[in-house]
Amino acid sequence: MSDAEPPDGADAGSPGTDAGGEFDPVEPDTGEEFEPVDVFPDSGDFDLRPGADSCYKCSTCDTSCPVAEVDDDFPGPKFQGPEQWRLKRTDDDHEVDDSVMDCSNCMRCDNACPSGVPLSQMHNTARGQYVDDRMSTLSVEYWRNRILANYRTSAWFASKAPRVANVAMNFGPARWVMEKAMGITSEREFPAFATETFTEWWARRGGAAASREHAREARERRSEPADADKRVAYFHGCYAEYNTPEVGKALVRVYEHFGYEVVVPDQGCSGTPMFANGMLEDARRHAEVNVPSLSALAEEGCDAIASCTSCSMALRQEYPELFDIEGIDDVAAHTFESVEYLRIHEDLVSEVREAEVGDDLAAEFAYHAPCHARNQGLDRQAVELFRDLEGAAIEDVGESCSGISGTYGWKDEKYETSMAIGEEMFEHMHDADGETGMTECPTCAMQMEHGTGYEVRHPLELLEAALVD
Amino acid sequence: MASVPHVAVIGGGSTGAGIARDLSMRGLDVTLLEQGNLTHGTTGRMHGLLHSGGRYAVSDQKSARECIAENRVLRDIASHCVEMTGGLFVKRPEDSAAYFEEKLAGCEECGIPAEVLSDEEARAVEPHLAKDVDRAISVPDGAVDPFRLVVANAASAQEHGARIETHSTVTDLLVEDGEVAGVEVEHGSGPGKRVHGVEGGREEVRADYVVNATGAWAGRIGEMAGVDIEVRPSKGVMTVMNVRQVDTVINRCRPKGDADIIVPHETTCILGTTDEEVDDPEDYPEERWEVDMMIDTLSEVVPMLAEARTIRSFWGVRPLYEPPEVGSEDPTDITRDYFLLDHEERDGLAGMTSIVGGKFTTYRMMGEEISDHVCEQFGIDADCRTADVPLPGSEEFSVLRDYMDEFGLRSPIGRRSVERLGSRADEVLDTDGPNPTVCGCEGVTRAEVRDAIEQSGSDLNAVRIRTRASMGNCQGGFCCHRLASELLPEHDELTARRAWDELLEERWKGQRHALWGQQLSQAMLNYALHATTQNRDSDPADGEPVDFGAFDDGSAESGTGMAVGVATDGGNRGD
Amino acid sequence: MEFFDEAVPHYRGSHTDRNALVPTHGGTVKPTARYPASVSAGLASEDRDVLLVGFDSLVDFDAPHAAAHLEAAGVPFEVRAVTVRFPGDLRADAEVTRYAKPLDTDGETTVDGRSRPVRGALAERVAAELDGEGRVGFPAILGDDRPHRVRAALEDRLDADVFEVPMGPPSLPGMRLEDALFDALDEAGVSIETGNPVVDYDGDDRIEQVSVEKHGARIPNTADQYVLATGGLVGKGVESDRKRVSEPVFGCHVPHPDDRYDWFDTEAFGDHAFARFGVETDDSLRPLNGRGSAEFENLRAAGSVLGGYDFPAEKSGSGVSIATGYAAGRRAGEAV
Repeated sequence: MSDAEPPDGADAGSPGTDAGGEFDPVEPDTGEEFEPVDVFPDSGDFDLRPGADSCYKCSTCDTSCPVAEVDDDFPGPKFQGPEQWRLKRTDDDHEVDDSVMDCSNCMRCDNACPSGVPLSQMHNTARGQYVDDRMSTLSVEYWRNRILANYRTSAWFASKAPRVANVAMNFGPARWVMEKAMGITSEREFPAFATETFTEWWARRGGAAASREHAREARERRSEPADADKRVAYFHGCYAEYNTPEVGKALVRVYEHFGYEVVVPDQGCSGTPMFANGMLEDARRHAEVNVPSLSALAEEGCDAIASCTSCSMALRQEYPELFDIEGIDDVAAHTFESVEYLRIHEDLVSEVREAEVGDDLAAEFAYHAPCHARNQGLDRQAVELFRDLEGAAIEDVGESCSGISGTYGWKDEKYETSMAIGEEMFEHMHDADGETGMTECPTCAMQMEHGTGYEVRHPLELLEAALVD
Repeated sequence: MASVPHVAVIGGGSTGAGIARDLSMRGLDVTLLEQGNLTHGTTGRMHGLLHSGGRYAVSDQKSARECIAENRVLRDIASHCVEMTGGLFVKRPEDSAAYFEEKLAGCEECGIPAEVLSDEEARAVEPHLAKDVDRAISVPDGAVDPFRLVVANAASAQEHGARIETHSTVTDLLVEDGEVAGVEVEHGSGPGKRVHGVEGGREEVRADYVVNATGAWAGRIGEMAGVDIEVRPSKGVMTVMNVRQVDTVINRCRPKGDADIIVPHETTCILGTTDEEVDDPEDYPEERWEVDMMIDTLSEVVPMLAEARTIRSFWGVRPLYEPPEVGSEDPTDITRDYFLLDHEERDGLAGMTSIVGGKFTTYRMMGEEISDHVCEQFGIDADCRTADVPLPGSEEFSVLRDYMDEFGLRSPIGRRSVERLGSRADEVLDTDGPNPTVCGCEGVTRAEVRDAIEQSGSDLNAVRIRTRASMGNCQGGFCCHRLASELLPEHDELTARRAWDELLEERWKGQRHALWGQQLSQAMLNYALHATTQNRDSDPADGEPVDFGAFDDGSAESGTGMAVGVATDGGNRGD
Repeated sequence: MEFFDEAVPHYRGSHTDRNALVPTHGGTVKPTARYPASVSAGLASEDRDVLLVGFDSLVDFDAPHAAAHLEAAGVPFEVRAVTVRFPGDLRADAEVTRYAKPLDTDGETTVDGRSRPVRGALAERVAAELDGEGRVGFPAILGDDRPHRVRAALEDRLDADVFEVPMGPPSLPGMRLEDALFDALDEAGVSIETGNPVVDYDGDDRIEQVSVEKHGARIPNTADQYVLATGGLVGKGVESDRKRVSEPVFGCHVPHPDDRYDWFDTEAFGDHAFARFGVETDDSLRPLNGRGSAEFENLRAAGSVLGGYDFPAEKSGSGVSIATGYAAGRRAGEAV
């Protein structure tokens, strides 16, 4: 059998060039080059089986998993990730094991893997598929998870009448109903809503124009060129907006101290709580707001910074792994955690070394590195930065996970696991000298407070106290 | 007839096992003799394609028609061995459009359901197809697990009274008065299941008739009785990928050529193949270029294969046969058809028939034809039932169950396990004690491993082919010792150690052809694990006696025998 | 070694130059110069009898198999084995950390419907099986943070020494060693950043700076001296494809045969060239290029990224790492 073969593939599609190739019953050849459509329009269709190629079964990920350590119903990240994906069939709905919902999405396994297996991407995608296929949208669990995942929506309502919300949310009978009807544990206190949100403060203060002015003055004081291109976009996330605006304020003041103009772009939720609950469509809706807004700024040379390590994690890692939105890779490459950014671009270490701080916040801090900070290589940042700061002592309470993992610890059925994971951290906090906690992550802070009764601060607050007059 | 005739079937591949099942179902007394494990020869070394017949639709329409008929039969009687993946014949721009049309027409002529897919439709089925693939024909190709299929055939034969002897090499044919009267056999470890360390022995198996179903080895058996069987063994490489890049059988739509098929097989994909005539079915070169060609050529169709991990490669020899007068030069021109050689008619040697050529998909049909022939010899009038009665494991069953509630197994592990066990799942997986996973890569639990040991003795390679344990990405790195442990207490430690060594070597053999990139790193990890942690390269039980007294015994002055087993640092830091 | 002994006080063996023989999970013994305190009561050169305890759902350590294998190796003591259920009936496939955690905290577990601390419950199960053996070996799951306390509690109740039998990865003794080494670094005031790879460098004869890759951003880091300790083939400090073997960060020369079929031996435990893949160095541990001179004046290499030795065959992995890590650090320090 020998056919006259076209010299190369370029014009092979044209009718007439193929010997005898005159008939195609389905689609006549037009001779045009074809660009295939994206076969993965939905994140749920990502095929991550090839990710299993990098796995050597060394199981280092399993030893890093805080859930597997306390819950033997959870088979660990190696099973959830490369093993399950490799064993999975694509032709069947009932494939993802339900234990994927026990993963807290702390993402420590990503960091532990010596071989680059996309573990958390595998977990997030499998969870998305599980929720799509298996979880009834009529179930209480689905709606409970959806409400927890869409914290921003609840918080927005609450912020309209924060005082009422604070009382109502923690009102005994209301909590009893929430636990019985929704499975939201009544063991925890809902976080207090600020009477003024961060953006309300920001607007009252004069917004970007005021910041430009502050930054210009600072550059003058620091003898830096008046026209230096120092501008950052602050991704405050939901928590600094509604619950701890003092963190956002500290960030603005610290950045302005270094001569940066801060802008606060249009933004939604980073998606972290939604990934953890398999609500990928909700997360995508928010990403479709965040990505265009941040990528436009990135194009102007304005990097994004976040004070919440889970927000920066989401923008940097989960976005490009789970969504295909124009500009998403630029956003990932131009997003930083707020202290990290200063370490890279300013001589933060020397300035802190020369500074001194009073004990208004506290003299000694028990610091917990959030899992999502660990994943960005930032778990040592606060300790190494503040160990040279006069007037403050900081002690690392160890590498354990706080156990709350965002919305995880809020679920009635996960509460015990969450507290069991946190036990080691609580213990180490008690052993530490300080009686004030410190962490970058708002939900870790909630857990630290819940387990020890300590007040918990953000490193930016200590930086503000040390550097800003 | 005074008594039931006894038939010795030589060869425990698909053909031999199929014949053994057929004859024993017709009430004959059968002994199946296999020199290695079941599937040891060609059957265990194929890519697992259940042909739709599409591949032969242009060049060999008789074979194509047989394939589609048997394809339908196997889906029915061997449902737990078959995965109906569907298949595509994929045309790249440089492939002949005329041939594409011939293929389509050929499928129609042979009754093979075929449908043309546009480029977009083809990529909707298989997203990883090259962007410039221009169209495809879909056909009902499938994937079949040859190990499971042969084991099920042998089990069925056994249920019907057959004797199955593996690790039993035929050393001679007994010829008396110009007639074959049986065979002489060397047992590896005594009759029955193979147990390491059990003394083997010689046995004369007398038979009323002998069937030579040894495929590429048929010539050797023939020689023992002085008859010529001109099998033309042809080797082909198969390269195993770590994961499934495709879920459909992908054929390159070209007249003929090497490296033109990808078969999704269980958790993996198998790339094939080459076609080179060899002199000796057991001793032929396994060459680098063959592996490279699989990857380089097939990545034209599925580009991601170029960078993907392969876990091993293996070679098989096709038992090709053509009547000597045809005289094809190129092995690819030799027919894939099968031939029944009655040595009485052909060579004047009564009592034996050889079956040569043919292909896996039509094994049952070959079995039926030769069984008819054997029955004829004895004037037995019994119908063939192998096309109607499901194989053990393929009786009514569903893989869609709640594995967690029923067997305490995670979803994909339970699914894989039930797929392998078929209707035997309840009997095997419903255990009282804990049922931990022994092989994580393939999701094989202790219950399944123990069931396989019960069937096959201490041979861990036989356990492997039944369960797939150690066939995943670590290639036994993490489970060989666990599998060996499962042999106790039924078998002793020395038996377990020998079986363990044998499995390690077998796993190493195929991996050698995949040693670069991720698999080389895996090999280094496995080597470190086995040689460092487990110290298996200088196992003190295998070597010279160790002078234990010459080593540190933990006491401050070695040799006093006193222990200082307790830490003195308070134990809070690190310890 | 003194440096190591100081940094990791829970390791034993410094009292003698002789190697010790440590029983491992497959039932052989492995020679080693240093060993964690948790295995010291199990050394094979002692002659007290041993009871090995396995757990029925922990497939990595089969006590009867290990015991029989040790006997076959001719150890100078009697070994008996027993398989028990871990108190609280952990699910099959529980992680090793799941066994260690409750032992660390001596958490409550439910045994026969009664809640009780897990250490006592485990000791009780084992005590029932003990027949005068002076030492009892468990798979290496006896605690992560407080292994000494776990052993002491069991020893107290069993009236016998307790030791661990090391298993393959994930290994708790290995994790404890890692923790101890990181603690020592922290105490020494070292800055540590983990989790993001160094992917590039600037400089010709001298490395000026290296870039850490984070989600598409490249973040520069500078130092006077650099030490490459990225591991071998397993740790990805050495990579390979079908054609060649390379060192990915600085592109250092890695000697290897041209044909990949010469990279291995046909037997599983043969003389494998791949086991020796890694960089060659000068006396100052600086990686050499193909022409025999140092690739960079301020780059040194230590541990498994070094070539020329087959650590699984030699059982020399940790020894080479400790010695070259120390020497490379020293030399780099002297050069600053």
